[in-house]
Amino acid sequence: MKKNDFYDELQEALEFEEVKLTEKTEFRKIDGYDSLHVMMIIAFVDSRFGKRLTAKQLFNITDVRSLMELIGLDNFEE
Amino acid sequence: MIIETFFPRKRLTNIDLETLFPDWSAAKIEEKVGIKERFIVEENETALDLAFEASNKALRSFDKSKIDFVLLCTQSPDYLLPTSACILQDKLGLRTNIGALDFNLGCSGFIYGLALAKSLIKTGLAANVLMVTSETYSKHIHPNDRSNRSIFGDAAAATIVSSDDVENILEFDLGTDGQGMNNLILMNGGMRNRLEGTVNEWVDDSGNARSNNHLFMNGPEIFNFTIEKVPLVVENILKKNNTTLNEIDYVIFHQANKYILNYLRMKLQIPKDKFYINMISTGNTVSSTIPIALKDCRDQEIINEGDKVLIVGFGVGYSWGGTILKIK
Repeated sequence: MKKNDFYDELQEALEFEEVKLTEKTEFRKIDGYDSLHVMMIIAFVDSRFGKRLTAKQLFNITDVRSLMELIGLDNFEE
Repeated sequence: MIIETFFPRKRLTNIDLETLFPDWSAAKIEEKVGIKERFIVEENETALDLAFEASNKALRSFDKSKIDFVLLCTQSPDYLLPTSACILQDKLGLRTNIGALDFNLGCSGFIYGLALAKSLIKTGLAANVLMVTSETYSKHIHPNDRSNRSIFGDAAAATIVSSDDVENILEFDLGTDGQGMNNLILMNGGMRNRLEGTVNEWVDDSGNARSNNHLFMNGPEIFNFTIEKVPLVVENILKKNNTTLNEIDYVIFHQANKYILNYLRMKLQIPKDKFYINMISTGNTVSSTIPIALKDCRDQEIINEGDKVLIVGFGVGYSWGGTILKIK
């Protein structure tokens, strides 16, 4: 998947209207980020990549890049 | 099968929650979890009281002297002992030569209650089972745990399962995995960890107050469990009943929250018009969401005589299960 498409799709999945996601966006700094968003990330990764992430794994992510690393960087291209 | 429901009088609206937690918006809560308000018991009102009221409603159209077994599903009993079902038998004035017991399950409780009632009838131990689900999670939730306060509501449902109903309750698929115990738990108050007078409190990542004296739910892990198990249980139910999703007229899952339900619906490719999502004015009432939904669907003629309805419950334990009902 193209990185820019990933940012856009993730942003839509998380229903963030006021933030433009980039590789460096830190999830916990986004206003209103909570456990429901963690659920949304699980759903998004499950449906788009067929991969199941645990709450513990997601607790340890910081920015969008760290989420991409969890999914596997070989899934992304420029 | 007679189903009646009962809700406490007191309401907790999203506006109330917005007032309590000013950085929360009522509209956002509704949009995210699909709940606008929920009913909450008063301090002196218990799950047994709700169970009594729901049962009384159900017994208005059924001769109570014919009830020969009481099953009561609750995780909020009045006492550690005696079991609430015994007290309910007495309060309702039911015969004394009948069986009565509580079983401790959450969101899978209605399915297990139906499975138990069917088994009791099939084996000849009973002919008319009063099966009650009654829950007051509001008593377990920390006052400043806004996430759980926005999701859970209190309610009871009384279902009378009779010999005539058994052929319309088809094959079950049930499952259990205690490895998930820590993801939805009330740590203190049992014999392992006695209730503590002063307890350590902390605030989680989402700004919710937590303590071991209160209900803890790891929402994302519960979601993971759900998206793993529910598709499997659906597949197993269909297989055991030698049918397909196309032949099912309507699907009712435990009403956990709107987001989870929408995701499951999409994952299982169930058409919107065959799938129930409605917890807007009740919230997640744990073991009562399925009977509340069944009653609502019958009242509104969403489901009608002859329809095959697939029902699935899943949650705390982990515990899950489902079956197909043929509507009479």
